[in-house]
Amino acid sequence: MYKKITISDYAGYVIAFIFFILLFFVFKLQVIESGKFKNIAEKNIVRIQTIYPTRGEIYDRKYRPIALNKPSYNLYITPGKIVNKEKVSGFVSKHFDKEIDEIKKIIYENRYRSYQDILLIQNIQFEKMVKTSEQFNYYPSLLFKAEKVRGYYFANIFTGYTGRITEEEYRTLRKKGYSINSNIGKTGLEKYYENILRGKNGQQILQVDASGNNLEFFKHNLQIAPQNGDDLILTIDNDLQEYVSSIFPKNKKGSIVVMNIKTGGILAYVSKPDFDPNLFTGGISAKHWNELITNPNKPMLDRIIHGTYPPGSVYKPIMASLGLEEKVIDSKTKLAKCDGGMWFGNRYFKCWLKTGHGSMAVENAIKYSCDVFFYDLSTRFSLEQINRYTKQNYLSTRTGIDLPGERRGFFPSRKWYIDNYGKYVGILGHKVNLAIGQGEVLVTPLQICAYYSAIGNDGIWRRPHLLDKRIEAEQTFKNYVEQKHLPMSEETLRLIQNSLYATVNERYGTGTAASVSGVKVSGKTGSAENHMGEKTHSWFSGYAKCDKFEIGFDVFVENGGHGGSVSAPIARKLINYYYGIIK
Amino acid sequence: MKRFEWKIFGLLILLMFIGIISIYTASSTKIEGDFLFANYFIKQFIWIIISMFILSLLLKTPIAIIDISIIPIYIITMLLLILVLFLPEIKGSHRWISLNLINFQPSELAKLFTIMVISKLISKPFLSDGQILLRSFIVTLIPVALILLEPDLGTASIFFVILFSILIVSDLPKFYLILIISPILSIIFSFSFWIFIVYVLLLIYILYRSNLNKVIIGFVVSINTFIFFITPIFWNGLKDYQQNRILTFINPMRDPFGTGYQIIQSKIAIGSGGIFGKGFLMGTQKNMNFLPEHHTDFIFSVIGEEFGFFGCVFILLIYFLFLYKIAKSIIKIKRKEYRYVSVGILAYITFQIFINIGMNLGIVPTTGIPLPFISYGGSNLLINVTAIGFILKYLNERSIFA
Repeated sequence: MYKKITISDYAGYVIAFIFFILLFFVFKLQVIESGKFKNIAEKNIVRIQTIYPTRGEIYDRKYRPIALNKPSYNLYITPGKIVNKEKVSGFVSKHFDKEIDEIKKIIYENRYRSYQDILLIQNIQFEKMVKTSEQFNYYPSLLFKAEKVRGYYFANIFTGYTGRITEEEYRTLRKKGYSINSNIGKTGLEKYYENILRGKNGQQILQVDASGNNLEFFKHNLQIAPQNGDDLILTIDNDLQEYVSSIFPKNKKGSIVVMNIKTGGILAYVSKPDFDPNLFTGGISAKHWNELITNPNKPMLDRIIHGTYPPGSVYKPIMASLGLEEKVIDSKTKLAKCDGGMWFGNRYFKCWLKTGHGSMAVENAIKYSCDVFFYDLSTRFSLEQINRYTKQNYLSTRTGIDLPGERRGFFPSRKWYIDNYGKYVGILGHKVNLAIGQGEVLVTPLQICAYYSAIGNDGIWRRPHLLDKRIEAEQTFKNYVEQKHLPMSEETLRLIQNSLYATVNERYGTGTAASVSGVKVSGKTGSAENHMGEKTHSWFSGYAKCDKFEIGFDVFVENGGHGGSVSAPIARKLINYYYGIIK
Repeated sequence: MKRFEWKIFGLLILLMFIGIISIYTASSTKIEGDFLFANYFIKQFIWIIISMFILSLLLKTPIAIIDISIIPIYIITMLLLILVLFLPEIKGSHRWISLNLINFQPSELAKLFTIMVISKLISKPFLSDGQILLRSFIVTLIPVALILLEPDLGTASIFFVILFSILIVSDLPKFYLILIISPILSIIFSFSFWIFIVYVLLLIYILYRSNLNKVIIGFVVSINTFIFFITPIFWNGLKDYQQNRILTFINPMRDPFGTGYQIIQSKIAIGSGGIFGKGFLMGTQKNMNFLPEHHTDFIFSVIGEEFGFFGCVFILLIYFLFLYKIAKSIIKIKRKEYRYVSVGILAYITFQIFINIGMNLGIVPTTGIPLPFISYGGSNLLINVTAIGFILKYLNERSIFA
């Protein structure tokens, strides 16, 4: 009997004891210490604050600045403290050159973030800040913070720009630690390397009351330092970039790319017209934005990778090497005699030289850029063969440059014609046209530059890239870039190289305007007919070697005219300049 | 239904009703003067209905059927514990089986059926002490090992409370309990040489006073000494993050950005509630979303903030009456197996309440154990109600075996 009672009683005692302990601590917190905790709760003292990292900066190959962070005064608004929405919007609009509706929209979008500071205006001048802050008594919801914004050293198309995170981006990126006030890379390198440039958030616990007393809830580890973003060291050479940008014909559209043929590193990357990425810092104004997007010359289009154009004669070496590789021709084979054109069925295809080139072998056909030779050559191959070989030379396929949104270009296939023309007829005419880089074939200037650089680099194709290395916490990481081989034998390669050399350096070559004394320049001109204008697109692409450097280049002027007379002289200038500055 | 314990049942219903109200306010947010409500309280209501249905089903089922199905269910539960290890991680551990409607934790089921299987196996007549120990330990250690792999230290610790509570009421001589507890204390004290020496001397004294034979005393002391030497080796063999995890478990303030911060916010919420509280739906700490698990693990902090000291005392009182009624009624259960089960369940519910409220008050480590009958969570509620259901069932059936 005694034992049976103890079980229940014993359990009862234990339970009573446990609840006494709990009761004691509830009493301690809610009755004895209540005042202290009420104070903390009201003033919202103990909380975790995120420390945002500093964005990595961008430098050229000699560590000269391209994009840096510069100090900036930014205006914030706390929605929970707004007294009169109309008045405060009007005040901000009046002093800081921003549409009142834009401000109202920001306030509306953030109406639920009562206790957060929401970024309104970035990059405010010091004088303006001092002047306006006198009136902040009337607007308790406004406050200034000293922070940093992006500053770019020159107008260009490759850095891209950073901008305020959108509501939609924020929804997906908040898990990665972005705040509603974050700036993120929107285009170009800023976008492509966003994860590297951004860094990692830090955290800090605030536990200091209004009079500065430490509440001492935690004694240690009160801060996790943020990890700043990596700095990017580019392959770009600021001097060359600036020079190339300055010699591009005024009021013309087009692009110039210069790269190191040994590494694929891009030395200059100019697409014209371009825009000043600083316009986007701190939010682009509606006026500037409209100017940019309504401009018929499309300054925001990166013509080097987003523009696709008919290559014209710069495509010819690919046709020639296909003929040589497939043993359809050899170095001495002469094809159809050029008397200014050639008949295929009932159509007459003209050569650009009305008087005709006569009958010649492949080297001279490239040098003089004779169309008829390539018309005839194309008839010996199926369309699929040409299509495949084009792709094997890394045209009509993405180069994989470290920029977002690169386009692939295009080379038609048998299936494409059936899909678009219904029938696979009249293909001979299309094929003949494709052989001289006309018709449906489209390439990006970057693809052409990479191809000619690979010819110059003895058949080794390097992926074009802008990032040379990144610096993470004083450690340097080199950007690894793979290499590939062009599908051609040593013999074919030498023959193409000799032809390109002859084009620039022998009498009557189409590219003689690009020759520079002291430098071995090789290249090919192109004048591509197109539907965009009267004049042909002007191409000149090739490579230049001397004991100091080996560079590949592509000069492209939309509707510029003839390659030999417009683009080749620009190439000569840039080679000359680079020869002069490289020590 | 003459013998049905209406008071226990009534208090259970009251607790679940408090739960609904608490979840309703805990999952609300105040935005610009308007309240937004998540639909957790509706889901919880549906779960209460389901639990009541299961409970009535249980009360109607012949007890013989329950008796024979215990071991098969235990085995299935162990298989589920193995299965869960191969499922994808949810929130950093392999605890949940995620079905479309609910996330179910097999470890919840394991607690209940471990209690039942231990009770069944050690209540058989003519067992030696060794057999009782062996059986109860094997039945406990299988789920503990599997749950530690998930990893879920908090839940694993509950199993020892269960085991200890059942053994304490069993026929096992009490000194065996020293045998069970002493190695655990040895692990804790092995970090300080002098404390360990004092502890061993004390242990020898207690064993000596219990008139035990010298071989057993020698055995206990040598096991504890062995643990003293092996613990540092084992500890140093752990990786940094594993050590950190254990140290943080013991002292959450080591992790100020995680559990430490949660405890501080919970204390601020409860403390700022004061004597009368801030009023229903008016908790400012809650509305500012400082705590991540309002409606589950930290629901007590919301109650404390909005209903103050009086609210907390009321809740504690209801819990106390509920548990005390069960404790008092246990002697009415005459059959050993059922009594062991009831004690195990009582201990396990009490322990959960203590750990959860203690965590909210900042006096015990955070473990992710919800507040029974009040916290949001379907599978947890179902298991807890079922557990109480077994006690009610045994109380109902007591005449048969009296």
